[in-house]
Formats: sequence, structure tokens, C-alpha cells
Amino acid sequence: MRNCEDIAESLGVWLDGELSLADAEVIRLHLEGCAQCDGKRRQLEKLHSSLKSLFEANSPRVALEPFWRGVQERIAERRTWRQGITEWVRSALAGPAGAWAVPAAIVIVLAILSVDSFRKLATQRNNFAAVESIDAHGRNVALWREDETKTTVIWLYHNQEGENESSEENTETRPSF
Amino acid sequence: MEPSDWELVQRCQAGETGAFQELVSRYHQKICIVVIGLLGNREDALEVAQEAFFRAYRKIKSFQGGSSFYTWLYRIAVNIAIDSQRRQKRNPLEFRETMDGLFEEQNEVARDPFSDVHDRELREKLVAAINDLTPEHKAVIILRTVEGLSYKDIGAILGCSEGTVMSRLHYARKKLQEKLSAFL
Repeated sequence: MRNCEDIAESLGVWLDGELSLADAEVIRLHLEGCAQCDGKRRQLEKLHSSLKSLFEANSPRVALEPFWRGVQERIAERRTWRQGITEWVRSALAGPAGAWAVPAAIVIVLAILSVDSFRKLATQRNNFAAVESIDAHGRNVALWREDETKTTVIWLYHNQEGENESSEENTETRPSF
Repeated sequence: MEPSDWELVQRCQAGETGAFQELVSRYHQKICIVVIGLLGNREDALEVAQEAFFRAYRKIKSFQGGSSFYTWLYRIAVNIAIDSQRRQKRNPLEFRETMDGLFEEQNEVARDPFSDVHDRELREKLVAAINDLTPEHKAVIILRTVEGLSYKDIGAILGCSEGTVMSRLHYARKKLQEKLSAFL
């Protein structure tokens, strides 16, 4: 058997229809025999009806058309913001600006590809180390390193025109691999 | 046969704006009542209600149907309203005149249930008592009283458990009863 305090605590939940059937029945039976708790029930019901009347009285009918227009305007504003960026990009590419924008884009792409090719070439060049003159009598050493197979070739050779150290001649006398 | 909310949502996700308009027509009145109840100010409430629908439109592709559409929509609206209420403490329930024909004309006197002196006094006290509640307590009172939503749905809207809804409702009613004891 529940006392009046317990019943008062559960009255709101009971009025909201959120109690189990068994608990709701206990409260109903208690209210039938307890004038004090029944008075509290009436108070809660009056509070509920007063609140409902107040909120409904203060909530006029809102016309759909102008309301929907307001929502549409917000959606359109958002689209306008997006469109603004799209149009800016388009305008940058269109008309006189496009005359430099497109070639500039091509140059940038080519530059990126060239850098890539250069790096590959540079890597290949790393395979070939150097040709150095050992002494003043035309003896030279060529050092060749091939990264892929980890092969190193050291070639000593004598240059017939060793005393002539001009760069052009050095180039001509380099061994070919 | 009328399409269900979920069917309209799916059409909306496919880019059909007309389907979203149908959802707006189904729920704009309910959302406005709840938001007006929370904010007390009609102009602010309409702004918030429109913003809620706009955000729902923006996020509708992420709506997977895990909850009902109206619970999801109420959640957006109530969250905006609570944030708005915290940001700006405007004079609540001091309703202004209609704006741009948004409110349909009606005979206020005829439908005012607080027409006699006693009831007018009750209304004033009621308004003052509601305004003293926190936004969270006000929200449970409105969702339960005006919309008649279950504790489960209110919990889903406010992002809290049914137990929390129950205790918030109990506390809010107790506070209101204390302040209105002479009138109830």
C-alpha cells in the first residue's frame, strides 16, 4: 500500500498515462478513497489545462505561404553563397582573364611534369660518378656506379694528349660506356 | 493516399523541393507553437522556426530514418530555440504585432480563455512562473502539454533519458504549482 506522499509523486506520471497498468490502478483506487490526493489531482489537471490554454491562445495560425517563402529565401541565400564561389571561378577562367589563365595552367602542369622528369634524369645521372685526371702525364681514372645492380667500375686509362687539359678535349677523351 | 513522412524525406533526398514543402506544411504550425511557447516572442519564434526548417533541409541527406522525422525536426527546432533563449533574453510573452502577414487574422478576444478578471490574473502569474523556469524545464512542459508527446519522444527530442524527462516534468510542475497555489 502506498502512502499519500508516494501517490503525490506519481500523480503527474499517472495523468500523463506513463505508468504501467498495475501502478495506474493502484493510484486510481487510492484517489477514490483519499480526498486530499484527489484534490492534488484536480490541481494538476487545472494546471495542465491552464498551460494548454495559455500556449494555444498565444500561438496564432501561421500562414504557410509567407512562412515557406522565408524558408526558401534562406535556402536561396545559401545557394547564392555557393554560386558566388562557382561564378568567381568561372569568371576567372572566362573572357580576357582566361587568355592567361589557361596557358598559365598549362605551364604549371608542364613545370610539374618537367620537375618530375628532371628528378628521374638526376637519379640516372647519379649512376655515372666522375672522370678525374690523376697526374700531369695524362693518366685518368673513371669511376662508374650503377645503382640498380650495385655495380661499380673503376677504369684507369692513359690519355695520349694528357698534357692538354682543355675542357673540350677532356670531354672527347672520356671513355664511353 | 497521402505519402508518409519517410517517403517525403526520401523524395527530398533525391532533390525534390516540393516534397520538403509538403513536410513544412505538415509541421510548420506545430513547430511554431512549440517555439513560441519556448521563446514567448512571436517574431523571434518565427525566425527560429524558419531556421529550423532550413537546417533540416540542409541536413536531410544525413537523415537515415532511425527516428521519426518529426522527432528529428523538433530536436533541431528546440535546440535552436534553447540556444536563442540563452543568447538573448528578450521580454518574453510580450507579443508584438503581426509581421508581413505571417500570422493569420483571428478574433483574439473570442478565443482568449483568460477573459475574466480572475483568469487574467492567473494568466499573468502563469506567464511569470513559466518564464522563471529554465529552458530545459520549459521545453518538457511545452512538449508534454501542447504536443502531448510521450516521455520517450520528449527524451529523443531533448537528447535525454525518459527518467530525466520524468524528473524535469515533476520539478517544473511543482514549481508552477507553488507559484500558482492561490489560483489552482
